[in-house]
Amino acid sequence: MNPLRSNSAFLRSLTRTLATLPAYQAAATLADAPPAFTEVGVRYSHYSEDDIDASSVIFGATSRYDIDITQLWIEAPVGASWSVALDVQNDYQTGASPWFVGTDQNGEPGVIMSGASIQDNRVEVGVATRYFWADGNAGLNVSRSDEDDYEALSMAFDASWNTAGNTRTWTTSVSNSRDKVNPTQGVIPVFVSDEALDTQSGYFGVSQILSRTAIVRVGLNYTYSDGYLSDPYKLNDQRPQSHERIALSTGYRHFLIDANASIQFDYRYYADSWGVDSHTVELGWAQHFERTTLTPYFRYYSQREADFFEVVADLTEPHFADDYRLSSYGAMTLGARWAINLGDWTFELEGERYWSDANWGLYDGDSAPALVDFWRGTMAIIWRFD
Amino acid sequence: MKSVLRTGAVLAALAAQASCVQMETVEAWDRGYLAEDTMQWETDARSARLKGHVYTSKEASTGGAGAAGGGCGCN
Repeated sequence: MNPLRSNSAFLRSLTRTLATLPAYQAAATLADAPPAFTEVGVRYSHYSEDDIDASSVIFGATSRYDIDITQLWIEAPVGASWSVALDVQNDYQTGASPWFVGTDQNGEPGVIMSGASIQDNRVEVGVATRYFWADGNAGLNVSRSDEDDYEALSMAFDASWNTAGNTRTWTTSVSNSRDKVNPTQGVIPVFVSDEALDTQSGYFGVSQILSRTAIVRVGLNYTYSDGYLSDPYKLNDQRPQSHERIALSTGYRHFLIDANASIQFDYRYYADSWGVDSHTVELGWAQHFERTTLTPYFRYYSQREADFFEVVADLTEPHFADDYRLSSYGAMTLGARWAINLGDWTFELEGERYWSDANWGLYDGDSAPALVDFWRGTMAIIWRFD
Repeated sequence: MKSVLRTGAVLAALAAQASCVQMETVEAWDRGYLAEDTMQWETDARSARLKGHVYTSKEASTGGAGAAGGGCGCN
């Protein structure tokens, strides 16, 4: 019997602390040492949208999407300074989505649904490697996503380095994605084929240790997309060919020693060249128990509608859309995550409920009839070994 | 687009200013609480990625603490 294995929980705890000695962490939560253990995990999630209110539907099914998501991964140290990871994700989705918004006999807007026979499968494979040095680390990630009607090949590079007595961590990352859109003909007609989309993105941020129990970060993300950005499965959807986005994110973590718990606060401000801007606030409370951690969280989100959004699309404009995701609304999420640590094994359960409503938003705008509410449930098993 | 760039410039200035604030030095041996899983920006990076992917598919906003990844035909 390997004596180290019998104390692996202790060793993990010790390693975790030691790993923070030369530095703390970057935005991607990385200490400046490779992981001490190989990790293998599987996670299954089920996502289910509520039926759309029948009074909002002019024609078609009221059921919406259900998605089964399976994630598999292995991550391992290589030598003294490297790590590698392989991630595979499969999404299987069925159901219906809004096709367009029209008006009923009374002139009220209503949704025409796509029908309930849409099925799609997406597989994403990602490979990552990371190099660690005394006061920083850098990683390269390549991933490919395939589904019947959409392909994406993306590459990302990130680096973090520490200054100010290893209490401050600077992080930057850049990425590029080349996507191909080739919609499938189904129960609704589509009028495009072989479209392309290129996206470049960059991030720069800094995290700062404030005290032995508090840390804060702030960062700025810029993303530029050029190409086909409309939704081919919506009848009245013609968006600009380019899209610039900027997001400022901040975060704060505070450990409460007496309560043996952490407060988690995150905020994001987002604005784009389509006229959308939004605020996102998330607050969590992570309570430690002897072998488990329970983290209930609350998220609030509010966005302003895109310049070209109308509840019923105006087809005389150069750009138009009736997609509820471009409307003004607010949304609330209530969730909880439960992690159970049993030696080399960790079990995770997570559930969340998402509600959206035009009246909950911070911005004016007409209510889109197809706003979505959904449930998500997740379970995971993770095994770590040396 | 000007408003986006103006907003970006203001936010960048705020970020730079915030990052220059001098803080107390916490010795390496005194970072046990900071090393807790629940003190990380993402307690579980893969779980956070999944969660973010769901929100991105249903909201107009994307991005945040990192560069964007590849797209999908999520609708």
